[in-house]
Amino acid sequence: MNTLECKGIVKKFGSNEVLHGVDVTLEKGKIYGLIGRNGAGKTTLLSIASGQNPATAGEVDVDGLKVWDNQDALDKICFSRELNITAGNTGIGGLKVKEYLKAARTYFPGYDKSIEERLIKEFELDIKKRLSKLSKGMLSMVTIIVALASKSEYTFFDEPVAGLDVVARDTFYKILLEEFAESGRTFVISTHIIEEAADIFEEVLFLDKGNIILKENTQELVGRTVHVSGVSEEVDKIMEGKKTYHVETIGRSKAATVMLEPGEELRNTADITVQPMNLQQIFVAMCGKEA
Amino acid sequence: MNEFLSKEKSIYIQISEMIENDILRDILLEEEKVPSTNDLAKMYTINPATAAKGVNILVDSGVLYKKRGIGMFVSEGAKEMIMKRRKAEFYDNYVKAIVEEAISLGITRADLIKMIDEAK
Repeated sequence: MNTLECKGIVKKFGSNEVLHGVDVTLEKGKIYGLIGRNGAGKTTLLSIASGQNPATAGEVDVDGLKVWDNQDALDKICFSRELNITAGNTGIGGLKVKEYLKAARTYFPGYDKSIEERLIKEFELDIKKRLSKLSKGMLSMVTIIVALASKSEYTFFDEPVAGLDVVARDTFYKILLEEFAESGRTFVISTHIIEEAADIFEEVLFLDKGNIILKENTQELVGRTVHVSGVSEEVDKIMEGKKTYHVETIGRSKAATVMLEPGEELRNTADITVQPMNLQQIFVAMCGKEA
Repeated sequence: MNEFLSKEKSIYIQISEMIENDILRDILLEEEKVPSTNDLAKMYTINPATAAKGVNILVDSGVLYKKRGIGMFVSEGAKEMIMKRRKAEFYDNYVKAIVEEAISLGITRADLIKMIDEAK
């Protein structure tokens, strides 16, 4: 029962339904990537899965415990939201970084201060600054520090690398993998910077307009999804009976994203070209606008 | 183990090929320990499960062997084994592709053989 299970999660804001019955099971000890366009429902799903918001219908269980209003379950989960600080020193923005981290320390029972201290050093973050004085990237650093130091068994990151420079992003991925190797915690990472994080995800989830449309081992997905192009009739023959996306016809030529069966291989011929696709290209083919 | 990962091939295949290349180049010697999956994961910023898949390909083919509780080691005769297998794959990976391209360009068999002779 070492799983986090979302069962039939529906979320409505007034008459606007943003999640349409999401069923998804996350296994302990994996790193998941949650990919979706703006407004797909990623943050809403993560906040419900972490018990921070109620679902309109459905429920979430963690290791067999109901998540909603249950401290034992909540102690296992950390959802480090993006910090949005409005101008001025009102509210949370007036807190210094070290005061905010001190509050986080009391909130998570397993909080590991040595991780916090190491990350502050790695990121060269000035903890005497007030949150309202931090840049977007620095705020992301704060959310990363809390999430990793929380030691929560299930840790969700919402856009952790937003605004981070490329060196800081690399630092984050490396420390995440180090912590993962040591602890075997479960991580869910939502991100728009797909390609650089793709190789970290053991599995990916595509969330499209409030539905999970795909959950698969990243390497298997990338291995069996190809871009096929060439003579129209030959491409049609290959497409027959297979899942295809983003089909485009230009004159006598045709191109499509084709999902092969596991183990199936397709080679170039004189009439068609078969090309590998990366995760970002697959996502755009599946969730982008139809041509 | 200093190569970059490219986007052309599966990551785990690249991991196994990189270890093989290091064995062919005597960077990794027979009976020597290879980096752990967690080391590889951190080195290349990839999921440890993917790194393990790459290493396991080599265990299955006998290039590496496992010492329980210690790690993975290069098998005796690994270098020869890799060369032998790569020679066998040469036909599939290179020769077939050359012939296909030659056909689509209308290059005759005689011309192709002449080109190969000249390329030496």
